[in-house]
Parts: sequence; C-alpha cells; structure tokens
Amino acid sequence: MVFNSFTFIAFFIIILILHNLPFSWKVKKINLLIASYIFYAAWNPPFILLLWLSTVVDYFVGRALYTQPNKHKRRVLLVASLIGNLGMLCFFKYGTFLLDNFVGLTNLLGFDYHPATPNIILPAGISFYTFTTLCYTIDMYKRRGEPVKSLLDFSLFVTFFPHLVAGPIVRPHQLVPQFESPRKASRQQFFDGLFLLTLGLFMKSVLADGILSAAADPVFGSQAGLSPLDAWTGVLAFSGQIFFDFAGYSTSAIGVALCLGFILPQNFLYPYAAIGFSDFWRRWHITLSAWLRDYLYIPLGGNREGKLKTYINMMITMLIGGLWHGANWTFVAWGGLHGLYLWIEKAITDRRTKKLAFLADVKSTPVNPTAPIAQSLLSVNPKFGLPKAMLTYLLICITWVFFRSGTFQGAWLLLLGMTGQIHTAQPLLATISIIKVGVIIVAMLAFHWLMRNTTVLQVVSKLPWFTVGIVWSLMLILLLLSQESGKSFIYFQF
Amino acid sequence: MPSNSLVKSALLAIIITFVAVCFWEIHLRQNGIKPDYDNGAELWTNKRKMVYEPSDKSTVILGSSRGAYDIDIPTYERTTGKRAIQLCMDGSSPRTVFDDLANDPKFKGKVILDVTEMLFFNNIPFMLSTPAENLAYYKKETPAQKVSFTLDVPLEANLVFLNQGFFSLNALLNLFHLKDRPGFRPDLPFPLEFNSTDFNRQNRMTDKFLIDTSLQNRVRGIWMMVNGMLPPPIKGKEFAANLQNVKENVTKIRKRGGDVIFIRTPSSGPVAAIEAKVFPKSEYWDKLLAVTGCKGIHYTDYPALSNFVCPEFSHLSPRDAMVYTEHLVTILKTDKN
Repeated sequence: MVFNSFTFIAFFIIILILHNLPFSWKVKKINLLIASYIFYAAWNPPFILLLWLSTVVDYFVGRALYTQPNKHKRRVLLVASLIGNLGMLCFFKYGTFLLDNFVGLTNLLGFDYHPATPNIILPAGISFYTFTTLCYTIDMYKRRGEPVKSLLDFSLFVTFFPHLVAGPIVRPHQLVPQFESPRKASRQQFFDGLFLLTLGLFMKSVLADGILSAAADPVFGSQAGLSPLDAWTGVLAFSGQIFFDFAGYSTSAIGVALCLGFILPQNFLYPYAAIGFSDFWRRWHITLSAWLRDYLYIPLGGNREGKLKTYINMMITMLIGGLWHGANWTFVAWGGLHGLYLWIEKAITDRRTKKLAFLADVKSTPVNPTAPIAQSLLSVNPKFGLPKAMLTYLLICITWVFFRSGTFQGAWLLLLGMTGQIHTAQPLLATISIIKVGVIIVAMLAFHWLMRNTTVLQVVSKLPWFTVGIVWSLMLILLLLSQESGKSFIYFQF
Repeated sequence: MPSNSLVKSALLAIIITFVAVCFWEIHLRQNGIKPDYDNGAELWTNKRKMVYEPSDKSTVILGSSRGAYDIDIPTYERTTGKRAIQLCMDGSSPRTVFDDLANDPKFKGKVILDVTEMLFFNNIPFMLSTPAENLAYYKKETPAQKVSFTLDVPLEANLVFLNQGFFSLNALLNLFHLKDRPGFRPDLPFPLEFNSTDFNRQNRMTDKFLIDTSLQNRVRGIWMMVNGMLPPPIKGKEFAANLQNVKENVTKIRKRGGDVIFIRTPSSGPVAAIEAKVFPKSEYWDKLLAVTGCKGIHYTDYPALSNFVCPEFSHLSPRDAMVYTEHLVTILKTDKN
C-alpha cells in the first residue's frame, strides 16, 4: 500500500478510529500490528512470511545473544543471524545480479555456461526491515541496550507500517520505548502529523510524479544522444524527483506516525543546502548514513587506524552503501563517486586543519568523515557558503546520472550530452517542460538554503494561522489537481 | 503555533480547498464537459479480468482506437446476447495482447480483432509499449491497487475534474503554448471533445466534436501528420514472421474451442486513400486471411459497411458506430455463421 492512494486514506481513517477507541494498550498495539501486516500484505501477501520469519528469528536470537554468557556461542548466534538476514537479502535482491556476474565471468574465461534466468520478485522494503532487524541483533551482541521485553513490541518495532517499506530506518532505542506505555497523539501532534502528511504527499504526487518525472523519464529513457539543455534539464529534474519522492515518503511516514502519537527520526534535512559531501550525508537519508557509520564504518576501524585505512574504510562504506540501493554496478559507481568526493574533501580539510592548527598553534584532531567537519572547516569564509553549496549540488547531480541510468552506456551517453559532445541531437523536451523544471529546482534550492538550519514545524509554529491555512489549502488543491495517486515510491525498489 | 491555531489553519485549509474544487467542477460542467473514465492500465486490467465471464461465451474485441470507437458494445451485446469485452488500445498494435490471450489456457472465447494496418503490420517500439505496460500492470496488480480502483471508480464517474489527460495539473500547465525549439516533436494535440470514455472502455466523440468542423479538422491534421511520419511498412521475412506469429496464436485459441475473426473498420478521405496505397489489400489483408485461415470482414467488401463517412477520416461517430455494429453482427450471423 502506498501513502498516495485511496486505499491508504480509507486504511488510515480506520486505524485512527481504532487507535482512539477506549481499548487497552495491548489491544491497540495488536491493532497496529495487524494493520501493519495488512499494509504490507497489500503488495504481495506471501512475502509476509519472510517478515514473520525475520521478526521471530531475530527476537529469539537477540534475547539469546544478550543472555548467553559463552562468548563462542554468542559469536555463532551472531553469525547465524547475519547469515539469515543477509542471506535472505542476497537471495531476493542480489540473486539475479550475482548469477549474471558469475555467468559473465565464466563466459569470459571461455566456459559456455548459460543457466535459466531466475524469476525472483523483490519483496517490498526488504533492505529496510533487514537493516532494522540487523541493528537489533548487533546491538544485543554488543549488549548496547536491553532485549525487547515482548514479541509483540518487537514485532511492532520491525513492522510498524509508517517506516516498514522505505524507512526511516529506526533503531530499537528510538521506537521500542514508545510501545511500552500507552500513547495517543495530542491535538498538537495530530495536526502537526496531518500537516506533514499533506506536505509529504504534495512533494511526492505534485512535484516528483506530477511534474519532474515527466522531464526526467524521457531524458533517462532516451536511446539517442541529447543536447546539453535536454541532458541537464533531465538530470536536474531527477535530482528534484528523487528528493521529493524519498523525502516525501519520509515526511509522510513521520506525519502518519505522529498522528498516532509516535515519533520517528528525521531522515532529511535540506540536503541540497549541504556544503560539502560529509555535510550532504548528514542531511540525505540520515538514518541510512548513521546506520552505515555505526554498523559498518566504525566496525571496519573508522578513522582509528591511520589515514590510509580511514580512506579505505570510507570507500568501502560508500561502495556498500551504493550496492544497498540496487543490484547493479551503476549503483556501485554512484557510491564510488561519493566515496571519491569524500576522499577529496577529506584531503582538503585535512590540509586546512593542519594549516589552521599551525597558525593557531593548536593540535589538529583526527577527522571522521561523518562528523561535522565541513561546517567548521569549509565555512571558514561564510560568504562563500552559497557558491560551495551550489558546487556540491552540481557534483551530486553528476552522481545521479549513474544512480538513475540502467547501464554505463546510458550514463556515458548522458554525460556526453551534458558536456555538449553530441552535435546532432534532436530537441527532446518541450519549452514548457524545461521551464517547469527550472522553476521547481530553483525554488527547491532556495527553500533548502533558507531552511537549512530549521525544520518545517518550527517555521509553521512561527507563522500566522491563516498563512498556514492558505499554504495548506494550496498543497491540498494541487494534490487533488495532480491526480497522481497510486504511483510507487522510487525507494521501494531498494 | 498553539494547537488551537493549527486547528483553525486546518479548518481554513479544508474550506478553501472545498470551495476551490467546487468552483472548478462547476466551471467545467458549465462548459458542457461531462465526467468520463481515465482509460489507463487500471481500467484496462479491470476489463482484462472479465474475459473469463463466462470463459467460452465471451467475445473479446482487440485492436487500436478504431475498435474502441467503431464497435458499439451495448449494440453488440443486445444483438448477440453475448458479453463483449473491449481491450483495444489507442495507437498500439493489438498483437501483444492477442499473444497474451492465445497463451492464456483459461480463455476459450471468441476474438474480434480490428486490423488497422499501420499498427498491426508494424514493429515500432512505441506501438508495443502501452500494451506491454498494461499487461505488466494486469499481471502484477496488487490487492491495494484493486481496492484503490474500486474506490476511484465512483469518483471518476461523478467528477469532471478527475480527467487526468486534460485537467491534471501537468496537463493544465502544458496548455501554456510556448514556442518550442526547431526539430522538437510535440505530443499529438487531440482536442478534449474528440474522446469520452465509458466504464466499458467504449470511446465516443462528443456532440460538440460532431458539430465543430474546426475540431474535426484539427484531428484530421493529426492523422495526416502521423501518416507522414511513419516508417515504411514491414515486408519480406519480417512480414512473414508477423503472420506466422498471428497464425500460431489463432491455432492456440481454436484448439481450446475459441475463434478469431478479423475486421477492418471504415476509414475515409485521404486517410483511406493513403492506407489503401501503403497497405494494398491484396498484399496485407488477403494474405493475413490466407495464412491464418480465419474469416475476415473488410468494410470495402460489404455495401452495408462501405458507405460510412468518418468525421475526422479515421473513426465512426457514435451513431454510425451503432449502425456499423448492427450490420457487422448481421454479417457475422449470416455470412460467417
């Protein structure tokens, strides 16, 4: 079920009514759990078995990891959990990809091997709930926090429908305590939630699906070379589409949870206002960046084992982060390009740190790529903040070429178009399409810049009520006019 | 903001939205526009699922827009007493869907296949893309999408502004006519009045279209432009393979007790002349019947079918569609038994 559908509206109204009836807290939690399973089963009912399997196995393995005194047994349990979770992810998400690469390799070595192509359907949200359950078992192994007391609470933690299929990726300590005592949204929370839900749907249906995809899709789907104007318009449109699609989902999810009285973590903080790439990753898909930092980068050694190892760890983290998004080498290239950007940024900031330390006669400290370095170092000269943010944005747009193109040939053709190397290109986009993209992207960048140090709800709280009412109604009217209900969110495929 | 203020904001938003939407709906209705259905993958899927109801007695109409305009479903059902399910798609080749039905063991009914030569005897990717998308939707439709469709139908049936093709935000913004770059190929600018879609996917020209010659001329211009843009027809091995594929599908359907009848609906004026020149009947239509062994009803072979005049050269008016369908059924009952 997607938030931008009639089915969800009916579903959500029923849930709100049930959640506000005078049932016991346990009954309300059971209602939410059943609702979450219905929400998930509305895509493909059989895949709910995978969700149950993952939940039950990790609940009991998590408890055993925490209580088991024998180190060796604990390790075995952790490995079993990792194999179970990652094995399931590998089979469903990377099965075909691995087989294709294996076949390619064997053919390259001269073997004539052509197996039947497997028809594997990717269960919605598997990457998200696998990461959710993985962090629990790893936390239990490290004895960070206590095991969840009941299977009901753990099931709800894994399955809670607002975050289930596309995040935010929640940690046990962020959500489980909220299930332990009765919760009901205050009036403030309820209306804040409704406002965020409207905003999220507006971002998804009006901006991403209604306007930007109409320019991005033909550009990325074009088999012919494009002019710089078409190529750049398509890439800029996709930069907006992917943001409004995914941030729209996260905003809706946070809003839906808030209407029920639950608080989910922020997932986006105006990423296109980022100054530098480490800043970008603190603003884009924050819960994934934090997950990769805590469960991959730091366990790899982080920045604790010298400069060279830090650079290697950063690149490994970004490459795996890229692969997490999809079973295709283009996603790996996307991650690799971000890793490269982070390398360059780190080299520059390290140099500046040294210089500053020398000038100020203070010792420089080791730099963590995910720590707030960019703000402190790159904003030495604040008047250059905006140009630096724009440069960051343009370089990120280049990474989106690899992210969205299905093949390297497609990505290369588009890059040639962007650099004006195609001299025989036919115009692809209508003037009105180019203007629509231009207006939305400029407005998006302006909003990101102006809002970079605040949140929507903070701004809303300072505005007069009638201004909020007018803005809210504009979003609702455009939502009704967009008529883009039912389209899937891009991140569901990841 | 205190919670009371947010309640006031929400109420104001609801009032403004309600008034704006009502105003827009009334404005459209005052301009004579009536509600219809979006002819997308959801509605197509809804009809595709009906080909088994009952599996051995249903008639499925396949083809492109001519099948959707020219065969009047209520007339067909009234005169034959059989259920007719229309699965035509505008500007598309029906071969993909024919292939799907032929390979569906549950389907045992009759197929009336509308042959518009430039679409049927062609392998251009864009002519195959919509059928592929609709079939993919049909095969992967989720329970949530089924419920959404059920909830959406009564809204579309009663609200004019829910016409995605003409009144969605994107469509409205595209009405700003700005000069495009030289060489740019615009979308075909069909007027709103050219098409209204019923729940059974019957396409009709509106009354306004039938009396407004400027609208008719606009669509005539589009057909002439389309005819000028198309690549040459397929020939030789490609044509033979095309026919062979159709023949295999005919055999599969007949083996299950079904049947296939090809029809060629009327076209007029310069469009008919171009079609006759580019796709000579003896080289395409006659060969199709000879290779497949199927019966066919070409409008030029029957006096009762050959005197229709298409308002925009390519499709019949709703009234003529009813007459055409009656004649067609009579021919099917007599000539073709």
